[in-house]
Amino acid sequence: MTKTYKEINEKIKNGNAVVLTAEEMVKYVEDNGVKVAAKEIDVVTTGTFGPMCSSGAFLNFGHSDPPIKFEHLWLNDVHAYHGNAAVDCYIGCTRMSDVRRFEYGGGHVIEDLVAGKSIRLRGNSYTTDCYPLAEVDTEFTIDEINQAILCNPRNAYQRYVCAVNSSDKTLYTYMGKLLPHYGNAHYTGAGCLNPLSNDPDYETIGIGTRIFLGGGIGYIIGEGTQHNPTNQFGTLFVKGDLKKMSAEYLRGVSYEKYGTSLFVGLGIPIPILNEGLARKTAISDEELFTDIVDYGIPRRDRPIPRRINYKELRSEYIDLNGKKVKCSSLSSFYHARKIANTLKEWIQEGTFFLNPPAENLPTDTIFKPMKQTLKLKFVKDLKKKAEICYEDCDIKVVAKKIISENVNHIVITDRENNLKGIVTSFDITKAIANEKNDLDSIITKRVVTTFNDEPIGNAARKMRQNNISALPVIDENKKVVGIITSEELM
Amino acid sequence: MTIINISIPFGLVKDIDDYSKIVNDILKHDITFNILKFSTGSAGINLLLDIPEEKVSSVTESLIKGNIIVNKKGRVIVDIDACIDCGSCISLCPTDALHLNNEQRLEFSYERCIGCLLCLDSCPRYAIEEM
Repeated sequence: MTKTYKEINEKIKNGNAVVLTAEEMVKYVEDNGVKVAAKEIDVVTTGTFGPMCSSGAFLNFGHSDPPIKFEHLWLNDVHAYHGNAAVDCYIGCTRMSDVRRFEYGGGHVIEDLVAGKSIRLRGNSYTTDCYPLAEVDTEFTIDEINQAILCNPRNAYQRYVCAVNSSDKTLYTYMGKLLPHYGNAHYTGAGCLNPLSNDPDYETIGIGTRIFLGGGIGYIIGEGTQHNPTNQFGTLFVKGDLKKMSAEYLRGVSYEKYGTSLFVGLGIPIPILNEGLARKTAISDEELFTDIVDYGIPRRDRPIPRRINYKELRSEYIDLNGKKVKCSSLSSFYHARKIANTLKEWIQEGTFFLNPPAENLPTDTIFKPMKQTLKLKFVKDLKKKAEICYEDCDIKVVAKKIISENVNHIVITDRENNLKGIVTSFDITKAIANEKNDLDSIITKRVVTTFNDEPIGNAARKMRQNNISALPVIDENKKVVGIITSEELM
Repeated sequence: MTIINISIPFGLVKDIDDYSKIVNDILKHDITFNILKFSTGSAGINLLLDIPEEKVSSVTESLIKGNIIVNKKGRVIVDIDACIDCGSCISLCPTDALHLNNEQRLEFSYERCIGCLLCLDSCPRYAIEEM
């Protein structure tokens, strides 16, 4: 049993197309089988609503009098990119306000713009003979500019990972707030409603596919950046007319200590052209797997404790090494469902038609890591010998060692070389000023440490965050194997 | 284990010994417990304690006798209009006061909130505020 786009569109026109959401399709195929579904069902709608950092909009303001060619411009104090013609710009959702920083960013500008709010435009120029104006400070609404085009280079990940944190401190990430010692877990994506998961071979999805985007109509214009189909991490490059979208489906968000982003509502209709598509669109949460990834390790290739399906992710608690870990989503299933239902209504009402892609998305590209020409340096490459004193020694011994070895940091250990603390030359100075003579009272016992294989940049960040100038290097048995100080980093 | 939120009013703790006494009084109930959070605020010292469920009433009783305030009620409000039902806050809520309802919309059960405030900086819409 096969159908064509033409046959399906004919049914949509006549108001008798049978449309189900991808969530409803799971049940339908379970009850009726793939054969019946392929014959009876014409379209399956999908939806997702989550943070999509690679989003932004092209705007054209029209020309001022006298004309200006922007060099720098700001929308509500958020720097927009200008590298095109005089009054074009691109406002990216993760760019944060120069004034309000984490509280307000490009994503919020887009939400405010779509909501019809007035946006302040400030810009300047080095001036040219044809564009003599040096400065602009004005206000506009979306109806008062020429074009406002949402154009997102990477949206709608086929699936995304589930984030946990093994480290001993709370992490603030683009995957939300992650509590230490696997205290919680976060995932994104709408599981069985996820657009690309319902057509994983991109049979019906490609350049030109008409979709639901931000409450209006959009188009897929190619594979997204970092498109990684071989690992089921496909992505989409999409565009759509912002003027016809709704602020309900484009929401600016702020992640504490990470930055701003934009929640994008996106839904794709999948025509059931054959039995294969009926089977694929019936995929359930139970059959969709992703990886749990440990964000406690600040490297590109983070440890993956295990694989997990969306059914377990959506059950509120997941099992991690025998521990019950509370898990929640960063994306809204309620809105994903609403998007799939809205798209379904549009098709049933005969206002939305399906079209074959001009070109299908690639299924064989590979996502490459960044080529870094400078070799990554590790702590072991730059560490030096730690000057060590025992915890029970006299404060004078420590002072003498600081002078004889010409260092600022003395690592304090027990006789087995286990780290007990650190003493700086400033600690000794303070001890003298306060007339303290016992070593124990001046040792810093809660020591921030590093390890041989930590990248230098991460060690430097630890020093900066803790406002300290040295980190003892310890091995897996917590024995001291060296020290790295801010001097080595310069 | 059950989490309770206690406030030690200003004046009750003048030094480390006063503080140790309060902790020891809790330990007298023959329990091990975790201090999940220690903070100081306008009301005094705020502690989030994780204690065995069966000891909640006896521990609460003795704390109240020692003039310590046991907050049973919530201390946050959720602005449902700003909320986008994403769920980022849910994994941080130790008592399920923040949860999704059958429609998958966020619901806040005020009576279950113990005011731990772990959710405060988890909301990408600033929809959760301290009362």
